[in-house]
Amino acid sequence: MTRDLDIIIAGGGRVGFQTAEILADLGHDVTIIEQDERLVSDIADEWIATVIEGDATNPDIIEQAGIEQADVIGALTGETGLNLAVCLAATELSPSIRTVARIDRAAGESYTRFVDAVLFPERAGARVAANEILGSDVQTLADVTGTLDIMLIRVTEGAPAAGKQLADVRFPEGTLIVSDADGNRIARPDTTLTPGSRYVVALESDVADEVMNLMRG
Amino acid sequence: MSGSQTRSPEAELGLLDATMIGMGAMIGAGIFVLTGLAAEIAGPAAILVFTLNGVVTAFTGLSYAELAASIPKSGGGYAFVREIFADLPSFMMGWMLWFAYMIAGGLYALGFAPNFLELLHVYGVVPPPDEVGAVVVPVVDAGVPLAFMLAFVAVLGLVALNAVSTAASGSAETIFTIIKVTILLVFVGFGLASPMFSGAEFQPLFPEGAGAVAVLPAMGLTFIAFEGYDLITTVTEEVQNPRENIPKAIFLSLIATVIVYLAVVTVAVGTLGAEGLAEAGEAGIAAAATSFMPTGLPIIQNGGALIVFGAVFSTLTALNAVVIASSRVAFSMGREGQLLPSFGQIHHRYGTPFVAILASAVVMLGSVALPTQSAGNMASLFFLLSFIIVNVAVIRLRRERPNMNRPYEMPFYPAPPVIGVVLNLVLAAVLVEYLIRTDPLALVLSVVWLLLGGVTYVALERLRAQPDHRPTDAETEVISEAED
Repeated sequence: MTRDLDIIIAGGGRVGFQTAEILADLGHDVTIIEQDERLVSDIADEWIATVIEGDATNPDIIEQAGIEQADVIGALTGETGLNLAVCLAATELSPSIRTVARIDRAAGESYTRFVDAVLFPERAGARVAANEILGSDVQTLADVTGTLDIMLIRVTEGAPAAGKQLADVRFPEGTLIVSDADGNRIARPDTTLTPGSRYVVALESDVADEVMNLMRG
Repeated sequence: MSGSQTRSPEAELGLLDATMIGMGAMIGAGIFVLTGLAAEIAGPAAILVFTLNGVVTAFTGLSYAELAASIPKSGGGYAFVREIFADLPSFMMGWMLWFAYMIAGGLYALGFAPNFLELLHVYGVVPPPDEVGAVVVPVVDAGVPLAFMLAFVAVLGLVALNAVSTAASGSAETIFTIIKVTILLVFVGFGLASPMFSGAEFQPLFPEGAGAVAVLPAMGLTFIAFEGYDLITTVTEEVQNPRENIPKAIFLSLIATVIVYLAVVTVAVGTLGAEGLAEAGEAGIAAAATSFMPTGLPIIQNGGALIVFGAVFSTLTALNAVVIASSRVAFSMGREGQLLPSFGQIHHRYGTPFVAILASAVVMLGSVALPTQSAGNMASLFFLLSFIIVNVAVIRLRRERPNMNRPYEMPFYPAPPVIGVVLNLVLAAVLVEYLIRTDPLALVLSVVWLLLGGVTYVALERLRAQPDHRPTDAETEVISEAED
């Protein structure tokens, strides 16, 4: 089933605009709701989305964005409360719509009771920044839920766990070595942590420093 | 991956390129093919016919400009209407526009054939067009008219070309358009200077018996000659500073086209006379040219050949434009889930909307079997109808979405779209009335197409109602699309 999604984005600031651009490039139809006149005119120059000028919490404005046909609404303004209000209003107007809200703190998971998904762009950005800073030795692959991370970690020569078999290393509770050295097999007790090779590791973030110590020295 | 259509931000079209795309699509076949037919109906008033059509379509041009500046979608009229209308009306809009482009393709192919024969005739390859009989195809037991064969082959060739390779860039379009306009200007220049023109006879302006009313059906028939500026709205993504340039390009291309048409029709009527043009039919302009262009030139021998070449070249480039345009409408409808999903898919090897092109080709190939006049009438009728919907879309958007950002706002709202709707309705009504009297075939086919649309719509609704696939998880889809 190929179908382009009809997407509404509330907030055409940095996050909203970049998101709209990516979605438009993927061929979806995007409508942006933005209050700030200056931003509206900037977005119009870029010509990626239809823009409705107004307050995204105003039901009348949401309706003008074509809420009945929309598949998804992403509330991406800088204010968590406003984003939740927009999503709730949208659900009220169009019960089957998928809602995504931008939040401004990590502890926002409980909001998924009201919306289908939340995002925390600062954290996602920080993750990428950390990946870039650390180069290819330590990379976060995915931010699953809560505080669980899936990472790609290169074992350093001379680190405590280097050259040992998994059975011989005591990783802290909340760590799971997922792959073997070349990423072809799931790790077994006899998997060796070869220096220079990279391993997929799932871990809870509060034990990350210990795991780093064991694998990176 | 062979070259797939990517959005290339650096391949930017300037105002000139955008204008040329509009002009190129308009100054295609309409003027070459339909001048003779318009003269047949309206006599020397054919000059008026083209001018008035320019005025009528300018109102819709305003609507297109406003919509294109505020709705950044490259689907042309269908995409704009889809924005505000419910499923059924937007489906019908797409359905009609798709048909209009396809029939226009047939019309251009039908215009190409006699002009091509004329070109061959100028160089003595074949006897004069009226003496070209039929080629006997060994497989079929009957003779097939050569012109029909040519039209068929032209459509087939361009469809094949577009099915396996992505469209030429806008800059090539600009060169083509400049060539076309230059040839027409040469025609006008020589025509004005020729002794035939000095004795030009524009009286009586209107044909006897019919009077000024004859202008209306002729307008209906030739309305398609101004179809093409809407193609500017299908390439908006590549235009620099679209909010400024799209409206400008629409108006510039319209104004320039009206001027060119006016000059060409004046010269054609002034030299060959309305009767002569009417006799020459689809090759009217070419016949006028051969009557006054200098002969004995090096290489091209007869100056008329240049104009005939212009006609051949124009009909082919316009045919190419509508092959692309028609498949884009079908493709957009497929993407929107208003036709089968396969219409909205890009071919894995060729990178083209393959199914959409092939489906468009079927109707186009069928339509070359029509008389030229019927094809012109049907294409014009469907453009008139779809332009009415575009104007209504502007009014609805203004009323229901007052807060929508409109980088370009038409002046004197609501007058232009209302006038546009009224004038287009009048022309459509006159055309339908004219068809009832003279061309029932075209009318029946039009009605059949609309009914077929209704059946298709209901069938697709049924199909979709079975399992409700709303893509809640579009991941797989996104990955496959990310490649194009």
